[in-house]
Amino acid sequence: MSSTPHFRTFFYLVLASFFFNWLFLVVWPWTNLGHQAPIQDEGSTDITPWAISGAAHAGEEVYAANGCVYCHTQQVRADSSGADIIRGWGTATDLSDDKKQVTRRSYPRDYIWQHEVFLGNSRNGADLSNVAQRFPDAATLYRYLYDPYILNPHSSMPAYRFLFVRQKISGQRSVDALDLAGDDAPPAGYEVVPTAEAKSLVAYLLSLQKGYHLPDEKGPVPATPSNKS
Amino acid sequence: MATSSSSAIANKGFASTDPELAAIDASVRWPVLFSFLTSIHWMVVGTILLVYASSLTHPQETIPGLSLFVNLSEQCSFFTYGRVFPAAVDALVYGWATTVGLGLAVWLLARTCRTTVFAPTTLMTGVIFWNIGIALGLTGIFLGDSSSVELLEFPAYSTWVLWIAYTLFAIPLFGTYLGRKPGGDHLAQSWLLVALLAFPWLFATGTTLLGYRLLSPTLSAAGLPSSSWTGSLPGSGVMQGLLDAWYVHGILTLWLAPLGLGLLYYLVPKLSGLSIRFGSKAQVAFWTWVVLAPWTAVHDMVGGPFPADTVTIGLIFSGLIFIPVAFIGMNLVGTAWAGEEKQGHHGGVVLPFLSLAAVVFVAAGISEEILSIRSANQLLRFTMFRECNIFLWVYGFFSFTAFGGMYYIVPRLLDFGWRSALLIKAHYYASLYGILLVLAMLGFGGVMQGLTLENTDTHVTIVNANDVALSFYIAATMCVGLISIGSGIFALHLGWMVLDWLRIQIRGSRLASEILLEPYEGTVPAKSSEEVSA
Ligand code: HEC
Repeated sequence: MSSTPHFRTFFYLVLASFFFNWLFLVVWPWTNLGHQAPIQDEGSTDITPWAISGAAHAGEEVYAANGCVYCHTQQVRADSSGADIIRGWGTATDLSDDKKQVTRRSYPRDYIWQHEVFLGNSRNGADLSNVAQRFPDAATLYRYLYDPYILNPHSSMPAYRFLFVRQKISGQRSVDALDLAGDDAPPAGYEVVPTAEAKSLVAYLLSLQKGYHLPDEKGPVPATPSNKS
Repeated sequence: MATSSSSAIANKGFASTDPELAAIDASVRWPVLFSFLTSIHWMVVGTILLVYASSLTHPQETIPGLSLFVNLSEQCSFFTYGRVFPAAVDALVYGWATTVGLGLAVWLLARTCRTTVFAPTTLMTGVIFWNIGIALGLTGIFLGDSSSVELLEFPAYSTWVLWIAYTLFAIPLFGTYLGRKPGGDHLAQSWLLVALLAFPWLFATGTTLLGYRLLSPTLSAAGLPSSSWTGSLPGSGVMQGLLDAWYVHGILTLWLAPLGLGLLYYLVPKLSGLSIRFGSKAQVAFWTWVVLAPWTAVHDMVGGPFPADTVTIGLIFSGLIFIPVAFIGMNLVGTAWAGEEKQGHHGGVVLPFLSLAAVVFVAAGISEEILSIRSANQLLRFTMFRECNIFLWVYGFFSFTAFGGMYYIVPRLLDFGWRSALLIKAHYYASLYGILLVLAMLGFGGVMQGLTLENTDTHVTIVNANDVALSFYIAATMCVGLISIGSGIFALHLGWMVLDWLRIQIRGSRLASEILLEPYEGTVPAKSSEEVSA
């Protein structure tokens, strides 16, 4: 291309192919995905998906900083494209009626409140889309993060002890001190408590629960903000 | 890998026999050499980090002394898997591949433009800034500022430095291109230009749009409803995942692949003294690759929360990638093998690396093709096969091209020979078997892991899948260890060569034992070897 007349054509053709790809792969989906709003249920003030708390947003950063995404996905594929539902990763208790279960794939609308989205590309660990379903309270999650080997002795899930501090008990034992037994137990007079980072991480993990239905399950929804379900 | 007898050609020197090319090489000497030296340092750093990270996920009994490191990673956030692993990958992709790639690009651009490089000092400053940016970025990841967006983990403060560095690169590259003389190698140059256009396009778009992510917390802190505002920005919601997929595959297929191919299309005919086999297909291969390759991004989207029609169209396009892969394979593997035959087996230092690179390119293309088949993708999507695919590009194809390139280029920059045939041989075989074993382990392991993950029996859990995966991971870690030995040998050899060269510069006379290796001497008629183009 070094003789001049051809260079322009070459240059434009290369740029055109970049833009072709960019247009159809990025811009076109964006016209669909970029403006998704939560859905308001008819005759109620509830919206789905639920908004996420500030603590959970702070937890996103801890999740990012410690690279959980290199082993965990947060996307449940449809039954037709994988065994995610069979693994139980798409199941959560219905938030509006806790006797019912919602089992479904993930939709783009599930992620609209998250500042940082961790879809992930590797499943060394379980999918965490509905992790709150499997860890009903913060205490269990703290203990799991402190020592994953409790549940599985040869787990490859790393222990996150640096998210906790061991401190001397002064007066009362702290409310969120971990119940640890065996080798993990701190010496008498000491307790292990979660740091602020651990607290927001766990708040974030507990926000990961998709026990609601979306109109998207019935088919594509127009991109414009809608107030109907 | 023949060792020439030293005395016979002791005073011949290593610079190109064509004075014009020799002048070009001399003009890029410092920036290119510096980029080589720093990149090989990142290669070693990245490999060590990678071995460390993957050994953390192994049971502690498997490696003596491992429990010490595991303890460290549990107690100190710096050493946790989720920081070390991305740091390793970034060190390899940016520190190693991109740094050496920029050096190779400068050299190849000057050569194919047949002009000395424009503003070499600016280039040198660019390489320095680039390295500072990488060091900052890696430090940021260790300190916990990683964004966990694949290949864009570097925190914003280092991204700025990388931007400055690339701008500093762009000026001399552009200037060199403007000063081009006719008669260069068109095909190699086309590949090179694609790479040089794609990198800023990808890097700028990726960092800017995904940088919007950081805006939402700021806006909500300021009391603005974050969803109504940032929800419509391209870097929000699942668009983050989509953009990242586009970016990652762009870096592999529009930056590293064309750059490596440019070098191969330039060096393979030159070294073998043959014109490109099936040369008439080379143009088709080029254009189909440029159009189809970036669509491999949808491999990371199949079944996910993305518009189904985008994925379907993408799989069709990326499925057509066998066309350029086949043609490029015919071109490069065909020519390189014919060249090796002509030289006699292991007739050179450079060509074995390059023909290996060409073969690995085809393997990487096949793995992209496999991932373009929907059912195979569903099986392999979240397994170590994906890691294998990235390895094929970065550690396999690109690294071998870069090694071959450096074995060829450094003697011409310094007018000084490599020091030891044995070290080159050791490097070659350690990398060859290392990469082949890693690929076998990760590829086959990926299939086994996928069969467990996608098992339709509800009793199968992630723990079973890990049990299956584990032995493959352990084997792969050991093979990465083998590769790292090879790279370490190369690093030492390069260091030794440069030190010896400095010694004779200071002494002002050539050493009697100076010449050890002349890779292609005697196999190619001197004139035509510099002229052959496709
Ligand atoms: C090296 C890979 C790896 C990293 C990094 C990792 N995990 Fe895990 N994680 C696993 C594995 C493997 C399991 C599967 C359980 C087992 O083997 O015991 C798991 C399981 C879990 C579970 C239990 C899921 C369930 O449904 O049973 C939670 C919760 C979890 N991880 C949270 C995290 C968080 C939070 C982080 C980041 C701070 C993280 N993980 C980082 C590998 C990892």
